[in-house]
Amino acid sequence: MRRAAPLALAGLLLAYPLVAGSYGLSLATLVLYLAAAGQAWNLMMGFAGQLSLGHALYVGVGAYAAGGLFFHFGIGPWLGVWVAVACSLLVALALGVLAFRFQISGVYFALLTIAFAEFTRVAFDHLDWLGGPAGMFLEVAQRERWDLAHFRGPPAMYYYAALLLAAGTLWLCARLARSRAGYYWRAIREDEPAARALGIDTFRWKLLAVLISAALTAVCGVFLAFYQNSLFPEQVFHISRSIEILLGPVIGGVGTLLGPIVGSVVLTVLSDGVTELLGALGWELPGTKQVLYGISLLLVVLFLPNGIWPALHGAWQRRGARAR
Amino acid sequence: MSALLDVQGIGKSFRGLRALHQVSFRLGAGEILAVIGPNGAGKTTLFNLVCGVHAADAGQILLRDRRIDGLRPDQVCARGIGRTFQIVRPFAGLSVLENVMVGALRGERSLVIARERALAILKRLSLADKRDQPALTLTLPERKRLELARALATRPELLLLDEVMAGLRPTECDQLVRVLAELQREAGFAVLLIEHVLRAVRALAPHVLVLHHGELIADGPAQQVLREPAVIASYLGASALGAEPPP
Repeated sequence: MRRAAPLALAGLLLAYPLVAGSYGLSLATLVLYLAAAGQAWNLMMGFAGQLSLGHALYVGVGAYAAGGLFFHFGIGPWLGVWVAVACSLLVALALGVLAFRFQISGVYFALLTIAFAEFTRVAFDHLDWLGGPAGMFLEVAQRERWDLAHFRGPPAMYYYAALLLAAGTLWLCARLARSRAGYYWRAIREDEPAARALGIDTFRWKLLAVLISAALTAVCGVFLAFYQNSLFPEQVFHISRSIEILLGPVIGGVGTLLGPIVGSVVLTVLSDGVTELLGALGWELPGTKQVLYGISLLLVVLFLPNGIWPALHGAWQRRGARAR
Repeated sequence: MSALLDVQGIGKSFRGLRALHQVSFRLGAGEILAVIGPNGAGKTTLFNLVCGVHAADAGQILLRDRRIDGLRPDQVCARGIGRTFQIVRPFAGLSVLENVMVGALRGERSLVIARERALAILKRLSLADKRDQPALTLTLPERKRLELARALATRPELLLLDEVMAGLRPTECDQLVRVLAELQREAGFAVLLIEHVLRAVRALAPHVLVLHHGELIADGPAQQVLREPAVIASYLGASALGAEPPP
């Protein structure tokens, strides 16, 4: 049973594009993208306790780095992703060293992450080489067959890529959680002075969390660039995108491995589903999505302060205990 | 013979408040030394200087003839000094075992071995059956033992204990003293302990330092120091002189 359930789930996820329509496929792709980005954010906040409110920064840097290489030189994302990761690491290093060297933590650290994202947004608005405020558009040559080399193809290809991304980040975070880094990060999250007294170089380990989180988020950004094919600084770096990334893990369960996934499923299906339903009924209400985000967040904060996944998990364990 | 810990004339002021002044003492490998004194005497400040939480304004601190003043707390720990906090600081959301594993991972590559060592320490401190509980569910005496377990797990050469007996009932205190003495004999680490519970001081420490208003007013064998008039006066007030020594 314990082995069968994940295998069945994997089978369902792999077979999904065969049965899903184009709307279902794009919705699932969005869910998986947000799950991956949320997982990356959760590594920094949920594990190491460093709140980032500017994760759109790394999405944008990754997207623009790989997108720019493709736009100007026709270099595909397989090379571009390394450049994207390198760029995001440089930005994260600057932020992390600045913050942790001067012992900036808590709310002030969160403000710094917003500041970095906003500065970068303004800078990209003035970077004409990458399109500036008018945006950068990646050429869509074809959408019929899978051109893996240039990452161009039908929606199903992007779905599988997003699935790989979500599964990959989950696997990596699960590995990290059970490593020395996982123990040290959680110790730092719980009590930094006590962690230091146990010989943990908190500067180094916090910086590592920021770097890994940034790199993973940048990979998500590369995916976004090639999936969306258009990049505007106003959109990519906007704080609402940072919020979108963190809502999944917050609602699903900060600091848990499955929280970001559960959260992104609930949020996306709920908000897009209801918006779509209203649309089908002939009601086009702009802002429905944001209102639904707000309501879900409110409900979770009020009734499930640890998030949906820990509550589900706890209920499941209590059921198991009763059965025994 | 050179001392394990050699504190030479250290001083520390906080915005004009003189917390420590010209404090010097030595502690040999495997020895136990108690620091006593009334509240506000500078005991915890002394610990924080040794551990690298604060930088000393004057003097120097040597561990095995190498200076450790100016190092960060994690570097001091890496040199072989483990500590507990007077106000316990468990990693509340982590399990009891995980708390100790964080300490046991210092200088240990294998998580499996770190886990085994952490478990062994928990058994010695009667916390093994609570190993999977979150640390926040522990009672205060249990948290004190967890604090000690975590520090021990870093395999210190010198253990700094900041009032680990405070708040314990006499039987709990005696039990902890017994375990601590056993562990100390086996592993051979030195101990510097701040303690108000004189019952524990007498049982553990052959040697006692007395701090008062940031200065060392007595330094010698426990039996002798605890009878000195100046010590009794600092603890109980001058009117207590002539009365029985403190219990």
